[in-house]
Amino acid sequence: MSARPGLWQRLDGLQLLAALMLLALGLMTVYSANVDFGRQLLWVALGLIGFAVAAAFDYRRLRSVATALYCGCLLLLVAVALAGHSALGARRWLSVGGFPLEPSEVSKLLMVAVLAALLSRRRPATSAPGGRRWGLLPWPDFLVAGGLVAVPAALILAQPDLGTAIVFVGVLAGMLFLAGARRLQVAWALAASAVLLPLLPLLLRGYQRRRLQVFLDPSQDPLGAGYNLIQARIAVGSGGLFGQGWLHGVQGQLGFVPERATDFIFAVYAEQFGLLGCLLLLALFGVLILRLAWTVAVAPDGFGALLAAGVAAMFLIQLVENVGMNVGLLPIAGIPLPLVSYGGSAMITDLCALGLAQSVVLRRRSVQHRAPVRPADELVEPSTVRLPV
Amino acid sequence: MVGAGSGARGAQPLGVERQLWLGGREPRPRWSRRLSAFAAAALLSLGILGLRLAQLQLGEGTQLRQQAASNSLRHLVLPAERGIIYDRHGRPLVQNSPAWHLRVVPADLPRAPAERDGELHLLARLSSTPEQDLRRLLEAARDPFGPVTVRADLTSAQALAVNERLPELPGVSLQRVAVRTYGDPLVLSHVVGYLGRIDEDEYEQLKAEGYQPDESLGKAGVEAGLEPVLRGRDGWVEVEVDARGQVVRSLREVEPLAGSSVYLSIDAGFQDATAQALAAGLAARGLSAGAAVVVDPRSGELLALVSQPGYDVNLFARGISGADYRRLLEDPARPLLNRAISGQYPPGSTFKMITGAAGLETGAISADSVLGCPPYIRYGDWVYHNWASYSLGAMNVTRALAVSCDTFFYVVADQVGDQTLARYARAFGYGTAPQIEIPGAAPGIAPDRDWKLARCGSSNPRSDQCRWNPGDTITMGIGQSFLLTTPLIQAMYVSALANGGQLLQPTLVHEVRGPGGKVLRRAQKTVVGQVPVSPANLATLREGMRQSINPPYHMNYWFQQAGVPADGGGKTGTAQWGGDGQDTPTHAWFLYFAPFDQPEIAIAIFCEDGSLSEVTAAPIAVRIMRYYLDHRTEIRG
Repeated sequence: MSARPGLWQRLDGLQLLAALMLLALGLMTVYSANVDFGRQLLWVALGLIGFAVAAAFDYRRLRSVATALYCGCLLLLVAVALAGHSALGARRWLSVGGFPLEPSEVSKLLMVAVLAALLSRRRPATSAPGGRRWGLLPWPDFLVAGGLVAVPAALILAQPDLGTAIVFVGVLAGMLFLAGARRLQVAWALAASAVLLPLLPLLLRGYQRRRLQVFLDPSQDPLGAGYNLIQARIAVGSGGLFGQGWLHGVQGQLGFVPERATDFIFAVYAEQFGLLGCLLLLALFGVLILRLAWTVAVAPDGFGALLAAGVAAMFLIQLVENVGMNVGLLPIAGIPLPLVSYGGSAMITDLCALGLAQSVVLRRRSVQHRAPVRPADELVEPSTVRLPV
Repeated sequence: MVGAGSGARGAQPLGVERQLWLGGREPRPRWSRRLSAFAAAALLSLGILGLRLAQLQLGEGTQLRQQAASNSLRHLVLPAERGIIYDRHGRPLVQNSPAWHLRVVPADLPRAPAERDGELHLLARLSSTPEQDLRRLLEAARDPFGPVTVRADLTSAQALAVNERLPELPGVSLQRVAVRTYGDPLVLSHVVGYLGRIDEDEYEQLKAEGYQPDESLGKAGVEAGLEPVLRGRDGWVEVEVDARGQVVRSLREVEPLAGSSVYLSIDAGFQDATAQALAAGLAARGLSAGAAVVVDPRSGELLALVSQPGYDVNLFARGISGADYRRLLEDPARPLLNRAISGQYPPGSTFKMITGAAGLETGAISADSVLGCPPYIRYGDWVYHNWASYSLGAMNVTRALAVSCDTFFYVVADQVGDQTLARYARAFGYGTAPQIEIPGAAPGIAPDRDWKLARCGSSNPRSDQCRWNPGDTITMGIGQSFLLTTPLIQAMYVSALANGGQLLQPTLVHEVRGPGGKVLRRAQKTVVGQVPVSPANLATLREGMRQSINPPYHMNYWFQQAGVPADGGGKTGTAQWGGDGQDTPTHAWFLYFAPFDQPEIAIAIFCEDGSLSEVTAAPIAVRIMRYYLDHRTEIRG
């Protein structure tokens, strides 16, 4: 290794590989679900472009435009509330140049950037969360973060889109935790959710409340609200160890699994590829999330670390909620499986998020000094540098 | 070892483009405790998901796989076409007309409540069915994946309307079914019968033979009696359906096997003429109920079998309404009762040939024995009257039959005894239900002292209900006492007199042909028994019947009037039933066979409450003979 490695050699290859494999599995499953495959290919292509652009983009510039990002986020959500298109009883889409845009998907990433900027302010520039000079989360930041998330989360809940609202709360919790929330703050957050959770049924629409009830007892209404749950469970279970084979899933191919290309794509995947395929998928997500955690660990500054932490939390919470509802562990809340489900907004957002994490990776410090360097040192004496063997 | 920020170089972090490659190794990642905890939590969640997947896919996999299959596989029954019932010359008596049933698979209805309600509302409007009825039927469905017939027999306008909108109505289908349409419902009702919806008990019994819970099956007449022949065998097809219930492909199929056709021994024209003759004869006397049975005494094949009043079987074919059914049940004329085979009545004087046979065979009398025919005889304290209030003079058995002398047969019966009389009655078919192909044939009664004792129910065998009285024997000689018979038994009885003493099994089925037209079964003469009467004695009895319709006797008038040769033998019967002893209502009977030498037709006429048999019953038989003689070649052809 004599030459300086090229820019792209500094990329987190493992993260990209896991993402690409998940994209491939996702495309196969979307193809098997008989939806608009060509369109999904287009989304993936646009997403990969977004990934490259985001990776090349210096993430640190986001920090200075955080206020604008937040305003933009709110604007989008208000726009969708006023002028959005409805489907399945929810107003979620904006038409942008003929393409449907789902602002709640985009707003997830915007919120991550805004929170990262907020939680890393007033910190030593190059300190990183968990480090000695980082310190604990100041109370004002804690409260502002909660307030910043509450507004868009409420707008999204009103669409209604319970799933994305849950992602918001999950991302907030993860980022607060990694940003050094105090124990008392954690206690406060738990207390707040304990108060709000019982109020949730009042806020939910009839069908959402019904979903919760049915989750508790699906046989209550096997052909109505419990149908999705039961059919998804049947699809997952009938996959067995090896699966029915690609394009041979009865439940998915014949349309018994509802929302088979989006919310319930995991069930369709599980039916075709079986337990082994599912474990592969989970392993790939595991690699992806661990690499994002690693990104947090190598980030050159607090903002980058929290950005990566937010992306990691976002992937984790979406994965758990989506797969959890597919296997009947969690109540149904419409949420796509990242990189796998059909849909443009989510695909592009998720790939951009990974690209931003790569942007952090690319800008990590690559030199490890053997000895503490005096702050005044501009360059390191070659003799003190230990060369790689 | 090296903490975060140990490599800090200054306030300005370096951009990638400005970074110098100095060799060395990567900075060690800063895995803080919180970050490690986060990673561990992520791995833990993945592990829980993996365990749950293993539980679903390995533990419950087999069971869920079966559920997946039952989701998408539907077993559809392909109903076999029911066999047609023809008359003996191939005239169809019933046809399968197409009709449409509206069916819904509850599982295939839209799952969103609003859409579901919308669909049911539309369906109710298109099919003109109350929406509550639809909901009730769908809620009561046992199997949500099986089709429920929510409306039988749509009108063609309704079927068209639904058919047009079918693409918007997931889960709804129109089933083409065949509904039986009967050609001459009132005349043939009691022969052909009708179909009805299978009931719970029948379904439990017949499930094994492949009957469906919403199937129809024969409930009366030939439809019921030949159900296994007519039904055929249903086929089925196993299809794969998608979530909307649309068939994707057929997997396995077994073709249905159509039912066999039944060619009745009945001649449709003759049946019609018989019904008309009976109706006219009854109407002339202000009556409405009666029966006529016409049989070929050589084979036992029934040429006509009429019970009146009839009822409209087509009402049943399309599912009779409660009101219509109640009306039929409550009609005092009891149209649903098949009097020809199920109605049991005392035979009256038509029984006298049996009394005569018993007397001749036991030696109580001979063909030449001459007895008086006084206006009454006295037995102990009891007086038994002849129908005439004056003496008809001395006579042998032949003349006693011709003039139907009651006192003659009182004496014979008294000499022969109840048990011998009953034995001869049984030999001529009394007391045993004829084995005919349609259900409901009644056995009649051939009573004797043992019979009375067995059925009396009193513990005291000396009581009047249990003890056989001499009077019971005496009145039995003229067909009263406890004797009961049916028009069908009478027809077989007169056939035995006509054909030389063979008691035959009556049959309504001339031929059974498979779906391809191949004859599977042909009517065969079945001899139930040979009556124990010598040819000479039979000839004596027949001679009495011949004389009774010839001059100088009045009955000949009907033959002359109709231009029918009085070639054959007849016997009237005016049977008392019930009443209070003063005003005694009577049924009218007439038995007839012809021609005398080689009889080919035997007729039993019964007129309920018909009073004088010579006036009521006999002309009906003559009218039937008129038609028979005019159309003999057609009927026999």
